[in-house]
Amino acid sequence: MKISVNWLKEYIPVTHTVEEMANKISLTGIESSPVHNAEGLDKLVVGHITSIAPHPDSDHLNITTVDVGEDSDIQIVCGAPNVANDQYVIVALHGAHLPEGKRIKKGKIRGQESNGMICGLDEIGVPTKYVPEAYHNGIYVFPEVVAPGTDALTALGLDDDMVDMDITPNRADTLGMRGAAWEIGATYDEKPEYTAPSIDESKIIDSNDLTVDIENKELVPDFLVRTLKDVTVGESPLWMQRRLWNQNIQPVNNVIDAANYVMIEFGQPIQAYDLDKLEEKHITVRNAKSGEKFSTELNNQDDEENTNTILNKNDLVVAAGDQILGLAGVAGGISARVTNETKNVVLESAVYDGAAVRKAAQRHDLRGDASNRFEKGVDNGAVSDALVRATQLVDENAQASEISDELVGIATEAKPTVIKGKISHINHLMGLDLSAEEIMNIFDRLGFTAELDNDDVTVTIPTRRWDMSIEADLVEEVIRIYGYENLKGTLPTGMETAGGYSPKREFSNKLRNILLGQGMNEVTNFSLMNKKEAEDFNVINTNYTKLLHPMTEDHEYLRTSLIPGLVNNVAYNQARNNNDISVFEQARIFDRADGVDRPKEIEYIAGAISGNIALDSWNTQSKQVDFYDVKGIVEELLSFTNIDANFEYHATNKISNLHPGQTAEIIADGQSIGFIGKLHPDYQKEHSIDETFVFELNVDTLFGMEKRNVQAKTAPKYPSISRDLAILVNKDIESGAIVKDIFDNGGKYLIDVNIFDVYQGVNIKANHKSLGYHLVFQNPEDTLTDDTVEKAFDVVKDSLVQKFNVEIR
Amino acid sequence: MSLNDKLKDLRASGIDDAKRAERIQELNDLRVNLLGKKGPITKALRGMKDVPVEERPEIGTLANNVKKDIQAAIEEKMEELNRKLVAKKLEEETIDVTLPAQPRKYGTRHILNQTIEDIEEFFIGLGYRVDAGHEVEEDHYNFERLNIPQNHPARDMQDTFYLTDQLLMRTQTSAQEGRDMESHDFSKGPLKVISPGVVYRRDDDDATHSHQFHQIEGLVVDKNVSMADLKGTLEALCRHVFGADREIRFRPSYFPFTEPSVEVDVSCFNCGGEGCRICKYTGWIEVLGAGLSHPNVLEMSGIDSTVYSGIAFGLGPERFAMLKYGVNDIRDFYLNDVRFLEQFKGVN
Repeated sequence: MKISVNWLKEYIPVTHTVEEMANKISLTGIESSPVHNAEGLDKLVVGHITSIAPHPDSDHLNITTVDVGEDSDIQIVCGAPNVANDQYVIVALHGAHLPEGKRIKKGKIRGQESNGMICGLDEIGVPTKYVPEAYHNGIYVFPEVVAPGTDALTALGLDDDMVDMDITPNRADTLGMRGAAWEIGATYDEKPEYTAPSIDESKIIDSNDLTVDIENKELVPDFLVRTLKDVTVGESPLWMQRRLWNQNIQPVNNVIDAANYVMIEFGQPIQAYDLDKLEEKHITVRNAKSGEKFSTELNNQDDEENTNTILNKNDLVVAAGDQILGLAGVAGGISARVTNETKNVVLESAVYDGAAVRKAAQRHDLRGDASNRFEKGVDNGAVSDALVRATQLVDENAQASEISDELVGIATEAKPTVIKGKISHINHLMGLDLSAEEIMNIFDRLGFTAELDNDDVTVTIPTRRWDMSIEADLVEEVIRIYGYENLKGTLPTGMETAGGYSPKREFSNKLRNILLGQGMNEVTNFSLMNKKEAEDFNVINTNYTKLLHPMTEDHEYLRTSLIPGLVNNVAYNQARNNNDISVFEQARIFDRADGVDRPKEIEYIAGAISGNIALDSWNTQSKQVDFYDVKGIVEELLSFTNIDANFEYHATNKISNLHPGQTAEIIADGQSIGFIGKLHPDYQKEHSIDETFVFELNVDTLFGMEKRNVQAKTAPKYPSISRDLAILVNKDIESGAIVKDIFDNGGKYLIDVNIFDVYQGVNIKANHKSLGYHLVFQNPEDTLTDDTVEKAFDVVKDSLVQKFNVEIR
Repeated sequence: MSLNDKLKDLRASGIDDAKRAERIQELNDLRVNLLGKKGPITKALRGMKDVPVEERPEIGTLANNVKKDIQAAIEEKMEELNRKLVAKKLEEETIDVTLPAQPRKYGTRHILNQTIEDIEEFFIGLGYRVDAGHEVEEDHYNFERLNIPQNHPARDMQDTFYLTDQLLMRTQTSAQEGRDMESHDFSKGPLKVISPGVVYRRDDDDATHSHQFHQIEGLVVDKNVSMADLKGTLEALCRHVFGADREIRFRPSYFPFTEPSVEVDVSCFNCGGEGCRICKYTGWIEVLGAGLSHPNVLEMSGIDSTVYSGIAFGLGPERFAMLKYGVNDIRDFYLNDVRFLEQFKGVN
């Protein structure tokens, strides 16, 4: 809420600039910023129209003479339809600056001299929606005599300096000027002074025009009304109008304006009704019947379908029989609206349950000043006073003949909160050592009553600070008024703690470092994906997990794989000519079992490589990534897991969107730990990307597997002997099977088998391939003899011939 | 010619030949020819029998000196030729060092993860555990246990992706507080934990909002922690991240799960507090929210709030990285353009 300095001065002395105040209030209580209005506007004065005559060459222009407080009146040509003699108006003099860089200069309009411009409020910067309806199409006319030549901005309050307080939801006590003055007063050690509202006693009568009944007492702790008779509805005085439009409230008439004014002054929303429009002279606050209709000014009146709000049984309404007067705490209705013809008025001051108001306002998209206050709470100790104040203002401005006593639908006693605390504990929590006197003094500045009994302090909190309830609240009040800037930083002391990552996280970090070491860049993708992406790589075959209310189809499903995100990264980069891409991500995927709502969160590490892994350069030739490059990375990664198992690569054509002939499932100890493969050509085409290889590994599974128990062995001192083996074999036989067989038969001294040649084609039997292996033998304890090696080599060869029908070449 | 003169002549011509040699082979030949067993010196010494006995030692010495001198001359020349040879080879092997390298690339860690890890390691140094928590969380832990009951106005501040009535994508890493507090054995010492991770909000993605972003929650619960400890801890953090000269300030704020609650500003690292565009001419930049654990939050985890107190803070790695490196659009973190990613090589 914007706090006008001029208004604030009614309560406390103000000596600082708004910049200083905003800074101090921000550091002490509520984030605030300074506001200067009407900056850059000048030469705007109040003028008095002393004559008017039609322009001889126009059917809509008038020639006026205007007293602008100078020696002689000036002539101004004016086109406003509502201009008339004897009006007090806003005049932009020759040389005046208006908003948006507009400048007024004297000149001639259709041959007639014009020495300035008579302005509407919108022309000097008031948004049209806050300009009184009567002046929407024309100039603004002051409702009272103002000395010609007076600065118009000052007369209209438009040059008021303000402090805009951006409250947190707990500090709604400052959503009224009085509460704000308490807060700012405490900041500057100034106690605000208020004049108690009062009603002309002579007009009060014991009225029985109206009865009130609260059906839903749980949601309505307070509901008070008063009626005023024979009022003269009209324009509000200027001082009230200007305070309203400065609060972004449109002045309407002297009854509605008074209600709105009291909301700003006390923070208590007030509703006004035309008593004569009530279909029954009995007001109830009840739940709406399902399907009941209600029309309010807050609805968009231009939108036919939206002029009526359809209510449901959760909505709380103020009604007179079947007539809905308003949606309680949210919006007043049109049916009993106070207009210029209104004679008798009902004013309502009530408290409604915040949650109910909040929901209703959300449900019907009708959030406003009133619902904002009820949602966050109002001072239930001020309900009656606010009603008195509204009544007083209506009476002063619209002269009632009779005023009713307060009619109480329901009232709940406003009890001040009593908080008990200990000076020592308050100091302990702050990390300070303030004296009891210092602390008591702070309570006093805040307007709290406190009693001290040795270390015990009992603080009585006025009802205007309904946010206060526990000792921790006292701690906050003391330390913020004392000043956080006076608090010296320390570090927690106490028992030593061993900090660090979890073993799982250490494991993850290790895996990530391997991929970084392989030159892969780390990416971060979204966990929420579209339906198709969730389906594309559902390799774990999980149930999908879906948001109840997604914002877009793009982010609707929890991810089932990291691959779609990586594919998007490849596509995004290749579309921008970053063609050689090597990226990985380490994140969670969501695996939901049958019959449960909550998915398991499983950490995966996945990569995608596309384009060249070596570039054409002055001394090298480029090389496109292939399956074996990526397999090399995965093998290195797996070797660093230190897992005590063999990793096997099983060809699979079962993973959709991967190449059926270039994909392997990776198996360790019989369980699947991930896959590696080339994207299916169709899938690549669909995403407009080059040939791309991907892999994905389950980090949680890897972490859970048994690790090798490393016992040091001395490096072998004896030389190794090697043998090369070239075979011809049916092309469908996998090298993995052959290597396994070589190891199975190679004896205890066979330590390594490398493949050095794979050939298929010219000079090779149809459907066959030629494979070359390099076998290394070593005895760690003695020198091997050729004889021993030869025997082992023979066993290997014999087995291969038998099992795979190979031809030894 | 006397033997003496003969030897002297041999010396002069041998040294001369060595000096004139142009190739190492010539010198080797010279050595064999002059100093070898069939060489002229050996041959000359056969004439020793004609030399009077008393002169023989003198001639012997001279002969040895002649051999040594020639040897030295050959070696000197040999060294010189070798030097020339090496110099020539070096000359031939000279390359253009400005030609581009064979790339040996190390990957770049995502800048958000670098930022997170820098902060994690800072807190590990202060004895904090790192506990990542759950991304899918129960309403109970994300809201109720943080003193945010149904209908609490604070639920307006964060619109939530729900999976069911009771399950949601966590909106804050503070959701881990309840789990950490209830599982901690206080007889073993204080609870000191940070909880980094991904959080989700129902926000439209734009330059300053992302429906997914990161947070790091910090929590210490012990018998003796205070607002002063909170300030000191965050002061140290901000100095670690933003520079040793940084100051911080607290401003009162409101979070349902802390009381008192503060927003924390750091003095502008760009202008040092003088006022600039980055700090919007205030000298201060808002970096995180913090406070003392609300007694209700402690009590809901079975912790006696009259004995224990807690400090809690939450910060946004995206915001830290945006401030520190001048990233203007939060979406850049999630587009993963490698040109964007690689510029953060080794920053942390």
